[in-house]
Amino acid sequence: MSRDAFTYIVGGKAGEGVKKAGSTAANLFAAMGRHVFQMDDYPSLIRGGHNFVAVSTATREITSHYMKADLVVALDKRSYDAHREDVAKGGVVVYNSDAQEETEGVGIPMTAVAKEYPRPELRVGVSGAAALSAAIGLDKDEMADLITKEYKRDLENNIPFATAIYEAVAEKIGGRFPLEKGDRERPMFTGNTAIALGAVAAGLDVYLAYPMTPATTILHYLAKNERELGIVTMQPESEIAAANMAIGAAAAGARAMVGTSGGGLALMEEALSLAGMAEVPLLVVLSSRPGPSTGVPTYTEQADLKMALGQGHGEFPQIVASPGTVGEAFDLAAELMSLAWTFQVQTILLTEKHLSESRMTVEFDVDGAAWAEPRMHDGGPYKRYADTADGVSPLLFPPSSETVKFTSYEHDELGITTEEAADITLMHDKRNRKFATVEEHVRGLRTVNRFGSSGPLIFAYGSTTMSVLEALRVGGIEATVVQPVYLDPFPVWELEEYRDMSPIVIEQSAAGQFARLLAEKARIDAATVIKRYDGRAFEPEELAEEIRRAA
Amino acid sequence: MTDDLGTYAENTWCPGCGNFAILNAVKSAVGSLEAKGVGRERIVMTAGIGCHAKIFDYLGLSGFYSLHGRSMATAQGLKLGNPDLKVLGFCGDGDAFGEGLAHMMYAAKRNSDITIVVHDNGVYALTTGQRGPTSARGYKGPSTPRGNTEDPFNPLVLMLEAGATFVARGYVGMVKELADLMVAAVEHEGFSFIQVLQPSVTFSNRYAEYNETVVPLEQPAASFDEALALARKTETLPAGILYRIEKPSNERALYGDWNPVANHPTRDERLAKVKAAVGRG
Repeated sequence: MSRDAFTYIVGGKAGEGVKKAGSTAANLFAAMGRHVFQMDDYPSLIRGGHNFVAVSTATREITSHYMKADLVVALDKRSYDAHREDVAKGGVVVYNSDAQEETEGVGIPMTAVAKEYPRPELRVGVSGAAALSAAIGLDKDEMADLITKEYKRDLENNIPFATAIYEAVAEKIGGRFPLEKGDRERPMFTGNTAIALGAVAAGLDVYLAYPMTPATTILHYLAKNERELGIVTMQPESEIAAANMAIGAAAAGARAMVGTSGGGLALMEEALSLAGMAEVPLLVVLSSRPGPSTGVPTYTEQADLKMALGQGHGEFPQIVASPGTVGEAFDLAAELMSLAWTFQVQTILLTEKHLSESRMTVEFDVDGAAWAEPRMHDGGPYKRYADTADGVSPLLFPPSSETVKFTSYEHDELGITTEEAADITLMHDKRNRKFATVEEHVRGLRTVNRFGSSGPLIFAYGSTTMSVLEALRVGGIEATVVQPVYLDPFPVWELEEYRDMSPIVIEQSAAGQFARLLAEKARIDAATVIKRYDGRAFEPEELAEEIRRAA
Repeated sequence: MTDDLGTYAENTWCPGCGNFAILNAVKSAVGSLEAKGVGRERIVMTAGIGCHAKIFDYLGLSGFYSLHGRSMATAQGLKLGNPDLKVLGFCGDGDAFGEGLAHMMYAAKRNSDITIVVHDNGVYALTTGQRGPTSARGYKGPSTPRGNTEDPFNPLVLMLEAGATFVARGYVGMVKELADLMVAAVEHEGFSFIQVLQPSVTFSNRYAEYNETVVPLEQPAASFDEALALARKTETLPAGILYRIEKPSNERALYGDWNPVANHPTRDERLAKVKAAVGRG
């Protein structure tokens, strides 16, 4: 293992400012021009429990957090107990000596110091930034600048509090982990923000969503920024309403998107089938968490692949793709919005909590974003479902002097209900032609990413790709990683060269859904399927060991 | 599609069905709206699934033939996408108060600027006569051969309580009045609800009863409580506008004079906004 990343873990109760302590550290590293990956681990509750944030940083690209930390800041005893084994060789734990007995590590009376200021329970979390600043050798002014920039409020209390913690930590481990500066400062975004911005870049007008972790922060980001972005957001009464409203909005000509997790998608399925019949463009974000059912709401899993590929009753074309990184999430959200409108199909951006809510340094290719532009009717009598050579009937939106009829029933070319055998066949054939039309177009897109060109062959998709690449880096393993970005149409044309090879497949599914898909669609049978399904993303060093064993 | 708002679709409603009266009322209402400057191209309709919904095929208006119980969500989506549209939604009683009850309550609660006309025949007619949310206790249908064991919803009370800003009752035996209600409902800015008493000649023929009990209401109630009292009447059934108040519509409250479709940006405009957002972090 060649550990060249620095990892900081801060843990405490929910409500203590743990997330803030984590994002503050991440922002500090990014401001130093370093690459950063931040993973928030939190239970489904508002106060108490155990939250932690793992932030890893390097001067080269980094695509995962590590669970072996150089510096652990434990705001409470539970965090100390949870992470004492996570300390890397040469690492150190800074713990709250008011929350437990003296033990191994650097004990700091965080609570006692906090009690010298108003609202001590909210102040303790500031210890994270103070301890980190001391440990990496920032001076007091630099630390005060960091607190000012990140906490903004109540600085007359926060800065003296942080200074006291800083001094106590500096006495023991001041400058223990000097971090060199990186090449340039990059912004940091979560996968969900990337998805939101990608869709906006493609022309999003309306976003509708019912809260469901881990998709919820798309709604939060877009609602907060809707005026600046020139879009409209609404939280309706259910996912069913969200999907049906989005379809209605799209029928009025608005670029619409919905976002949810597996349970919400289950509720939307009826509407997605409607979009298939009515041929209404719609971008659907499906961000997975461990299932089945309510499952484990705030953790990660890749068990909704089959659902995404198989959703909706009846037969109609759709497109499913899954981004491997936060940067790709931006590109893909725009591309899927564009494809939805080009072909009047629903497109599903399949992702997971690990990408949705993790935050990393990234530079978006904004100018390269796809733009959603429908094929419009160019005058004359209008037929909503005109029988065209490629199956795509031009769009026209009311108000219009022509009659525009969208419908859930089988219909004739004008959108009038039919039960005639010839009409049914005609419309099935029209929709079926879109499968081929879509595939032909998708063949021209980057449907598969490849990393490396020698060593064992590894298949992964979605956020697991990031874990695999980081595992190879830390393990110093030469391998060829193939990541299908598109899952429907499945890019078999790109994968023929791997047929009859026996790759390692790595995925976060107990059943190995991705390995099954590869076998079924591309006749690629895995020699080994490395699975993780405990709700946690793969840890790079552990995964490197597993890859080594499998290779 | 023809100038008289008809289509070439074959009408398959039962002879004598109350839906014919609703269809005629809509045509008359669209004519009146056109005379008032609301062109038919701006009027879009939605329909759920059931006998009522066949009106979608018979009317030469644009719109969306939606799903059972979801058409009021589709209607709200159309309005949200382009608030310049006048959305006229048709629902059955099963649509509105069975499968789609939550959507109805919320459409009223948020005062979405749409009109929902419920063809209330108190029965699931198209699926051969099962009890619906407004069927009387004791109603015998194929799913309740020993009689309905539930009391019916009162749609007017539900909509009043949920916050509808225009609540009316019409009757297919009073077509001219029904057309007037539709015009007033479409002109009302906010959620407009019309319960139309529409007997099913095959499964629940209540024409004789309604001809006795339905009485015209001269003017809306002066207060919410009075409207509730009118809505709860059972010996006579007041027909007309029971309640009407002014309140900001959902769309106006959400985004004022913005129009997502009309204000759809150029790519350059949008990319500039995205770059600014990326800069803000």
